[in-house]
Amino acid sequence: MSGEEEENAAELKIGDEFLKAKCLMNCEVSLILEHKFEQLQQVSEDPMNQVSQVFEKSLQYVKRFSRYKNPDAVRQVREILSRHQLTEFELCVLGNLCPETAEEAVAMVPSLKTKGRAHSDEAIEKMLNDLSLVKRFE
Amino acid sequence: MFCLSELEDTVRVPPDLLKLPLEVAIKKVLQKLFLDKVLSIGLCVSIYDIKSAEGGFVLPGDGAPTYKVVFIIVVFRPFVGEVIAARFKESDSNGLRLTLGFFEDIYVPAPLIPRPNRCEPDPCNRNQMRWVWIFEEQEYIIDDSYQINFRVENISYPPVPTERAEDGAIDDDGLGPVSWWEGCSERNNEDDDT
Repeated sequence: MSGEEEENAAELKIGDEFLKAKCLMNCEVSLILEHKFEQLQQVSEDPMNQVSQVFEKSLQYVKRFSRYKNPDAVRQVREILSRHQLTEFELCVLGNLCPETAEEAVAMVPSLKTKGRAHSDEAIEKMLNDLSLVKRFE
Repeated sequence: MFCLSELEDTVRVPPDLLKLPLEVAIKKVLQKLFLDKVLSIGLCVSIYDIKSAEGGFVLPGDGAPTYKVVFIIVVFRPFVGEVIAARFKESDSNGLRLTLGFFEDIYVPAPLIPRPNRCEPDPCNRNQMRWVWIFEEQEYIIDDSYQINFRVENISYPPVPTERAEDGAIDDDGLGPVSWWEGCSERNNEDDDT
């Protein structure tokens, strides 16, 4: 990450390596950590003893702050968001916070409206609408 | 937010683990080295996958094989400007403290609390001050009833340099030496404001 550019996610100046690194939504992390925990349950009688505090509390956090629980729903969410020319970072913030209006979405992810990007309010509303449909049929 | 990060490291598998399948043994060593530690890329939460392990040569004078391992970990890493959902932990006249559970050093200083507001002694807890946000003539007490969305303004690391895991000098409770200050926005059923 270049030292000269100050990190600022609001303007998408978060360092190239993170833009390319795979960012995960809370609901995806929930599936990953749940799966790990289940694997532990298969080999240990007392899986809670085997996991660290950080693992346990992270799992609690992502379970609590995930709108989508079902693996198919989670896949659909990423698919829908991927169709809208977002960076991995923007995709995950939106997937995590589930804004209900375009105004809210832009407040949470101001980089959507930076110069040269084609995200009209209508396009954002359509995207949010598609997301809300996923929730309904979970 | 959480990210997947690919790393490469040289991993020494102690002899007592060699009875296990190689992948399991390497995973155990990686877990000990990385889990709950704060690296430059973030707080390591879990080993996601091992992509490759090469070598297995035993160096002279050592009883254990060493492997060059490429693996992927799940880390938590905040970004300046990122909006994150948290819960209220406590407050005083300086401001609020928020928590994610696995990370609790999130501070919202008074100037970054939505205005207009006021600070008053907490009637339920004589030692605490509580903050009340006034919006459109409604008063919202900032407490743990609601999720609080905050924007990361600043991330600070402690002046003490942290060593690599082998030395055990990294904070054991895994919470790492990071503290953030941010603007607070409260999400409740009636209204959203950032």
